[in-house]
Amino acid sequence: MNNSINLSVLRKIVQLGAFIFFVYGGLITGYYLDDKISGALPALSCAYDFQGSDLCTLIPIQHQMDHRLGEAIAKGGNLLMGVMPTLITLGTFLLFFVVLNKAFCGWICPLGTFQEILQIIGQKLGLQRHESLSRDLVTRIRPAKWFILLLLVFAFPLLTGIGMLNHDLGDPFCRICPSRILTTLATGETTQLYLDTANTTTIVMSLLGDFIFGLMIALALTVRQPFCRICPMLALHAVFRKIGLLRLIKNGTPRCDRCGLCAKACPMDIHEIHTDMESRNVTFEDCTLCGRCVEFCPDKDVLQLKYTLLPVFSSSPQYFKRRKKRQTQWEKGNLIAWYKKRPMSAKTESS
Amino acid sequence: MHQLLGVVIPACMLSLAGVAIGADGGGATKPPQPAHDHRGEKRIVLENGDGAIVTLWKPDLSTQQLTLDHNVVTIPMTGIDNYHAIMAEKDWGDHKEAVIRYEYRFGRPSKQSPSRLAAKQKTAFEIVPDPIPREHYRYHSLETWDYLVRFNGKPVNDLEVVLNTANGSQLSSTTDANGRVSFQIPDDFPGMIEGERDKRLGQFTVSSEYLEGDRRYTTQLNAGYRVNPAHWQSTRLGLLVVGIGFIAGGFLGRVKSNGGKAQ
Repeated sequence: MNNSINLSVLRKIVQLGAFIFFVYGGLITGYYLDDKISGALPALSCAYDFQGSDLCTLIPIQHQMDHRLGEAIAKGGNLLMGVMPTLITLGTFLLFFVVLNKAFCGWICPLGTFQEILQIIGQKLGLQRHESLSRDLVTRIRPAKWFILLLLVFAFPLLTGIGMLNHDLGDPFCRICPSRILTTLATGETTQLYLDTANTTTIVMSLLGDFIFGLMIALALTVRQPFCRICPMLALHAVFRKIGLLRLIKNGTPRCDRCGLCAKACPMDIHEIHTDMESRNVTFEDCTLCGRCVEFCPDKDVLQLKYTLLPVFSSSPQYFKRRKKRQTQWEKGNLIAWYKKRPMSAKTESS
Repeated sequence: MHQLLGVVIPACMLSLAGVAIGADGGGATKPPQPAHDHRGEKRIVLENGDGAIVTLWKPDLSTQQLTLDHNVVTIPMTGIDNYHAIMAEKDWGDHKEAVIRYEYRFGRPSKQSPSRLAAKQKTAFEIVPDPIPREHYRYHSLETWDYLVRFNGKPVNDLEVVLNTANGSQLSSTTDANGRVSFQIPDDFPGMIEGERDKRLGQFTVSSEYLEGDRRYTTQLNAGYRVNPAHWQSTRLGLLVVGIGFIAGGFLGRVKSNGGKAQ
């Protein structure tokens, strides 16, 4: 890899390409849901975006819990037939997921890309950013994604189908998902940015959705990947991460105890990459397989991205030195630094 | 004078509020909310349906002849997911009438795109939604949609097309060079209350007439439409809440003066 194209740059190019394809690619793949690629994409590509080229797997799962399994339970129907659509959706999800594993988060997800763009904007504006969230805070945040997956993707829609909750809770995660607002706004549609006054449930859900969207935008300027940390797609990925062909592998050495650069580089603040000396497969539940930890590991082959048994990217001292230098240059350039460096005469004129 | 076939969804069958075009559409009082049953049989009333040939077009473009019973035609369960087209045709010799309605039916995945169903010529003179609203979506008032007018599969330009709603609105327009015409569906439900959700279903038709020699062709596309959610969904308030979230995020994400930089 030459000096200008490092793994992070390559990833940004892939992310931008994926963003354009999944947000606007319906012009290629077609307008109707049946024309979409999978209908169960392992990334937050939203079905409310009519120009999108695919939709995330959490959408059909919620609908199937509500209209198929929930109704089958409520009407005393065939449970196997009720659960079959969800199994087909999960099967389709897995066909895609196996290929890239959790890299769908770090390389493909439009919402992940949007948060990284905001992070770049924050950095270039000169906003002071959190180096890493504390281990304690990260540990406290981690269960949130599991609660959201279990409650908003499975339980509430199922209870709605059974008839225990009102119909407005049939797709509760979609109602709070920032990707719904982001991707529709990106196509010039404002119809998903609203406060719904129909009833108490819609008021609460739309308030939450809008608030989380605003919160995410502001946080992403100074905190790395704020929504990803509570994203139920990350939890769903975590369930199946062992069968993914792409993995993060660690060949720990005694030097790992003293270094910790990998954990600092991790946008999800996974401290275990640094501290876990037992596991070889360190594709932890919060990992997005972005590869930053491998980039910033100064030791040869200690961290590797492996596709099955084949190493596709390995840490090395030479790469680390180049990457560190590039990062330092990148960090230096921002609006506040530029303003401070201006000649005195320019400052006087402007004042 | 021959009378057009009118497709009507009777209120008693599916609790829908559909009424005949030209009849006393839409009362001031709100009718019951529509049921969400798209899996079972569905009955459709045809006004003056005697002698009409009714064809069900399935998503895979296979067809099935349906029989009329006292102006009522029953759409059977096909078990196939996706849009189906119900086409009623009546030939008076010098005049051919056609009425078409696209209905979404649930079932096993059809693996077919509705664009195939729309593209397929189903009668000589036809108005085709361009596009048909996407699956699980509906026409709403205040939305602008395009329609394609075809004769023997070819677009017809410079032809007058009329949109009527059961709530009494009428709009008229002319097809462009590509045979396309656009209409903004009228926001004409009576008795709407701003801020309150309104699930009423109205009916509209898009119709036109075409002369080919001595033979007259009339065609009508029939569809349902609902009240635009903008009546109870405020973008302005939504934006305000996003702003509050942004401020809260800025407060939460603030970094003290000794805060470090990311790697």
